[in-house]
Amino acid sequence: MRGAQAGHASDVEALFRAYWRPALRAAFLVVHDAAAAEDIAQEAFLAAIRRLHLFDRRRPFGPWLHRIVVNRAIDWTRTRQLRAETALVDTGVWADERDVSDETLAALARLTPEHRAVIVLRHLLGYSPGEIAELLDLPRGTVNSRLRRGLDTLKETVLRET
Amino acid sequence: MRRRLEQIEIPGERDASERAWRVVRSAFAEYEPRPPARRSIGLAAGTAAAAVVALVVVAVSPAGPALVRTVRNAVGSEHAERALVALPSSGRLLVDSGAGSWIVNADGSKRLLGRYASSSWSPHGLFEIVAHGHELAAVDPKGSVRWSIEREGAVRDPRWSPDGYRVAYQAGSSLRVVAGDGTGDRLLAANVAAVSPEWQPGSAHALAYVTRTGAVRIVNTDTGASVAYWRGRNRPLRLVWSADGKLLLSLGHRTIDVRTSGLARVESLLLRDTTIVAAAWAPQGDRYALIGYQPAHDRSIAVIRPLHGAPRNVFVGTGRIDGVNWSPNARWLLLAWRTADQWVFARTSGARRIHAVASISSQFHSRAFPRLAGWCC
Repeated sequence: MRGAQAGHASDVEALFRAYWRPALRAAFLVVHDAAAAEDIAQEAFLAAIRRLHLFDRRRPFGPWLHRIVVNRAIDWTRTRQLRAETALVDTGVWADERDVSDETLAALARLTPEHRAVIVLRHLLGYSPGEIAELLDLPRGTVNSRLRRGLDTLKETVLRET
Repeated sequence: MRRRLEQIEIPGERDASERAWRVVRSAFAEYEPRPPARRSIGLAAGTAAAAVVALVVVAVSPAGPALVRTVRNAVGSEHAERALVALPSSGRLLVDSGAGSWIVNADGSKRLLGRYASSSWSPHGLFEIVAHGHELAAVDPKGSVRWSIEREGAVRDPRWSPDGYRVAYQAGSSLRVVAGDGTGDRLLAANVAAVSPEWQPGSAHALAYVTRTGAVRIVNTDTGASVAYWRGRNRPLRLVWSADGKLLLSLGHRTIDVRTSGLARVESLLLRDTTIVAAAWAPQGDRYALIGYQPAHDRSIAVIRPLHGAPRNVFVGTGRIDGVNWSPNARWLLLAWRTADQWVFARTSGARRIHAVASISSQFHSRAFPRLAGWCC
């Protein structure tokens, strides 16, 4: 982070390479849309670049980035749920390209975006419930209950094979 | 659990990574190192929270039954007037025909500005910016040339900035910008796609264009700074800003992407069996008119699609409709129905009304069907 703030491109690339994949994956597991996940993760990195000079080096970069990614992913999914796909013309058909074929992804799809987010933060990114509570600005009890509920729903399809 | 979550395949993950890195690298190239701010932990957390950008909430209700009034005679409306005697609304049209660029006044009178190939209005319709061959020129409504410049490549798609102080245009494969008085011409990008650049309304000289590789880039033309960048799966063929500059339509062959001014996604649509021909945002509000062509039926369909409501079909015609323009008061759509050699004026709200005007090519002394270049104030 110090090198990136000093303007060294190699350090920014190192940051990107270290954090891009988990950020993209976290976004994808919440939104279930590859293009949207790419947008969300990319925007998070651009926000980081825009605010690079403001960043407090004493704090870790990951939680800051993941907070943006997960909150934006939740917002995107809520927005998506408000929209129904429409037929634009009388005979033409408009549709989004979506495909949820993976078993685990399908199980995640049964959860609300808020539940998906805590599962992703806990089990993909490895945050503790306390850290998740701080990241999402939630009471710790809410995080715990969402984790329990999410795991119960996933148990049939995911835990069975782990 | 972690292993399962990490094994889920993300379509196009590798390409996404490289695309994102190019964007981040480009953004970082404009970063100027400054001494890091001394901040409390609490304040830093607050800053991070503030960096969460809200997505535009778009609620589109499901499509209702089609509300189609089909004016489909053999080819063309049988009730078409033989001549354009008046526009149904105030304002003036700018038209590019084989004979040159024309201004059509509300009373139907026409003036040939000169032998230009493409044209567009200045912000308040005080001037027109026109292109022909290697020449770019600013002319007044009487056709008098105020200034002109010549460039090596073929000049096309001139666009006047909303404040009137800049003009963007393409010369060959390059994108250039010149001041509104014809001075200070300079290169903005050396290699761009053949897609009209479009100024963002309400911005300080922010211009959207399509790169050679098919990405959409928004730049501040005064500083050269990249404001936003997005590369999707589909190559944009046309960009259209909403009147308030908050939304950008990116039209592909069969795809529509509605993006925010930061190029964050609002909506993406894929159209099956229909090719997108043209689109135009309404002068006010979040609705746009769209022309689609269905080859299987050899027909074109014009719809108005609000972001927060059901789409409404306004016209269906045999063959090709090439262009669409809103009247300045948003009450009429002008559809350029090439196959019928007609213009169709369709009401956009209230009782459905259609006015058609025939023999458009001959009225503009042109063998080819004229192109609508704008309906101005």
